[in-house]
Amino acid sequence: MCGIVGLHLKNAELYPRLGELLVPMLDCMASRGPDSAGVALHDGHAMHVVKDVGPPVEICVRNGIAERGGFQGIGHTRMATESAVTTQHSHPFAPTPDMAVVHNGSFSNHATVRRRLARHGIGCTTDNDTEVASRFIGHQVAGGADLADALRMVLKELDGFFTLLVTTGTQFAVLRDSFACKPAVIAETDDYVAVASEYHALAGLPGIGDARVFEPVPEEVYAWTR
Amino acid sequence: MAAAPLPMDARRPSHTFGPQTIAAIQRMAEEGHYEIRGWGAKRVLPTFDDLVFLTASVSRYPLEGYRERCETRTVLGARRASRPLELDIPITIAGMSFGALSAPAKIALGRAATAVGTSTTTGDGGMSEEERAASHLLVYQCLPSRYGFNPADLKRADAIEIVIGQGAKPGGGGMLLGQKVSDRVAAMRTLPAGIDQRSASRHPDWVGPDDLRIKIEELREATGWEKPVYVKLGATRVGNDVKLAVAAGADVVVVDGMQGGTGASQDVFLEHAGIPTLAAVRLAAEALRELGVEDEVQLVVSGGIRTGADVAKALALGATAVSLGVAPLIALGCNGRTWVRDGVAHDATADYRALGTEPGYCHHMHTGRCPVGIATQDRDLEARLDPEAGARRVANYLRSVTMELTTMARACGKSDVHNLEPEDLVALTVEAAAMAQVPLAGTTWIPGRS
Amino acid sequence: MDPVILDCTQLSTREINAALGGLPDGAAARVMAPWGRHNLAVGLDNRITVRIEGNAGYFIGGLCAGPDVVVDGFVGWSVAENLMRGTVRVRGNASECAGASAHGGTLIVEGDASSRAGISLKGGTVLVAGDVGHMSGFMAQAGILLVGGDAGQALGDSLYETVIYVGGSIASLGSDARVEDLTDDDVLTVKRLADRAGFEHIDPGNVTRVASARELYHFDALAGQRY
Repeated sequence: MCGIVGLHLKNAELYPRLGELLVPMLDCMASRGPDSAGVALHDGHAMHVVKDVGPPVEICVRNGIAERGGFQGIGHTRMATESAVTTQHSHPFAPTPDMAVVHNGSFSNHATVRRRLARHGIGCTTDNDTEVASRFIGHQVAGGADLADALRMVLKELDGFFTLLVTTGTQFAVLRDSFACKPAVIAETDDYVAVASEYHALAGLPGIGDARVFEPVPEEVYAWTR
Repeated sequence: MAAAPLPMDARRPSHTFGPQTIAAIQRMAEEGHYEIRGWGAKRVLPTFDDLVFLTASVSRYPLEGYRERCETRTVLGARRASRPLELDIPITIAGMSFGALSAPAKIALGRAATAVGTSTTTGDGGMSEEERAASHLLVYQCLPSRYGFNPADLKRADAIEIVIGQGAKPGGGGMLLGQKVSDRVAAMRTLPAGIDQRSASRHPDWVGPDDLRIKIEELREATGWEKPVYVKLGATRVGNDVKLAVAAGADVVVVDGMQGGTGASQDVFLEHAGIPTLAAVRLAAEALRELGVEDEVQLVVSGGIRTGADVAKALALGATAVSLGVAPLIALGCNGRTWVRDGVAHDATADYRALGTEPGYCHHMHTGRCPVGIATQDRDLEARLDPEAGARRVANYLRSVTMELTTMARACGKSDVHNLEPEDLVALTVEAAAMAQVPLAGTTWIPGRS
Repeated sequence: MDPVILDCTQLSTREINAALGGLPDGAAARVMAPWGRHNLAVGLDNRITVRIEGNAGYFIGGLCAGPDVVVDGFVGWSVAENLMRGTVRVRGNASECAGASAHGGTLIVEGDASSRAGISLKGGTVLVAGDVGHMSGFMAQAGILLVGGDAGQALGDSLYETVIYVGGSIASLGSDARVEDLTDDDVLTVKRLADRAGFEHIDPGNVTRVASARELYHFDALAGQRY
């Protein structure tokens, strides 16, 4: 149960401002997730994940997130439900070196999927449900699936209530479960695609007034590629 | 000529497919439908009966009964509410709807609670005028259905209880069969009369603890931050849920164990969902301690609490108060053989028989044909319950339970019932020792520890 | 009398609602820079007008019985939830559960509303100029939901006595919802509501009426229903 944000920049002129734009979005989500926070930034060469226990702004200031550039990034504020409040349990989860996953919601069969992954030699380092989903997606993509197909596999394999936001070295994708009870708003302009749990996290973005704003419908994969 | 009785070895019942299981399967085959009934779990469960107190002797000294005071006053909701509930006893009356219960029953419960200085609670059907008038302290439930929910009643309530789940059916919504959806009940719930009403399982306007935090703020804003906000949970993943309720801002967490009652639910829920109250209270208390809020957030425990011994044990394990539902109904006359009018007792056995049951076994509140006028909306049947006499009986019962509670607390050397603690208890069974995390009697062994 | 100015950058939600609640009937207030603030103008029962100038969060205008609230922006979940009287008008989009359990009054959304618009509706009127998302009108008991645009999947699932009118397309109907013939009374009702909301794009004679088939009103063992 949490807040999620994401920003996929289409206009290269905005790349240097990625962190500067993302940090206020994350701060807006502080009350949805008071326990811990984290971001994953893609600069075109590598992915950088920063996460810690505590309020998002402090974590971002401590790690100079606002000064960092890149072409896309996601962030998360966490209200822990069933697993511990630690840095390891915080989002984003990075199942592979260039993939990051954040999630708002609660999976109801993650223990089974965890065991299934273990049979394929995929181990989890925490008891967190999102880590299971992230490793599942990572496993699908490693096996050759396109990110959108990997997310469609999530709909088949994982049960419960979720909004997922996933980034890779080239892609940015959003998925909600069939009930779509956990909030998500997408805003798209010629310059960017932005996602957040609540609209107000998007309201400070440049040109938001002219954006196409919509809420993702259930079970539909929304994906953008650099 | 009567057949000769079968020899004993010819009547060997199967444990797996016993006579009751056979009857249940044959009924399902007949009707194509799950069983819906009232009451609560009927199976054998670990209960507070499996615990006993280590009362005073030489190492500790008891208080004198009656002469030396044992405090029972209880405050709920002081964390953030400017007007917390101040109760004379730590025993409250749980939420039961007008609709599931008759108007005379709701009035009787309200008057009884008022007489003994405690609170009563609305239910899944809104607040009725007579209930508000009868109840000095009234807790207003905010349920997924929102039947009859309105800001005017919210403002004249003494506390607000957001119901996430119920011990009888955690994860399920309410039910009221058409027989009880009278014109008045239908109007209060904005439903057509006579339909089988099934409430939602999730709230219509928020989902999950992150949203709940905002919902609690809304209810406080709408009531000037005066009233305590309770969050009621059906006992399942108690540790996580209690912590999330606290994080969302609850002043009071109500944990309802699987022995909790209901007016109507699927039998499969009643018997197979949730954990026993005994385990739930310990988990909830532990969660509050882990958060360091045990002196700030109060725990109210419910689900199958019957006696002062039960109350004392719940308090010892960490509850600040308990909430009773089925027991006060029994005090009112539920499952009684007779009902009384003008001092004359009338036998109701034939009415129970007409429902296919007998006094002592009746779980037929779902039918709306309650022979003693409690769980009905039928004019003639509800007239069998005199609210004044009923209120006296419930008040007598609550006073007796309180006396049992203080008797036990005094014997443990406590001048305040809230000073009972887990160390005052030992368990009679390994199961109870494991669930309550108190030593097995005669040992220092707590299963799972050491 | 000039409107009272309440600035969210200076005041807490509690201070704003207390100030609004203390205004006499007929007064006006402007709530500035809401910046996604939740729970603005909730639980009010005075006849005032409140203009929220920007995007706001959850439960805006919830539990109100009197005021006229306008939001110049987007709102989060459950705008006008449990509304009893008065109006709430949203100039932008509304997120999920718009008008949830509203017992009375009118919610007007000039943009789109997301999923579950009019869920559990109990007599209120919910008017949406644009589209509504999936499960709109879920378990709605009484009142009217008017949709100027398209409706998402499972419209009117488990519907009771609420009537839904849709100007555009319907992705799918939920359990126990059915399309019914439009009567002259329906056309008059839609016209009155569209006029009131200022929805000129709605042709009252050309909307689809959705109401309950009432097949879930009784647990019928043999109906093959999925309980």
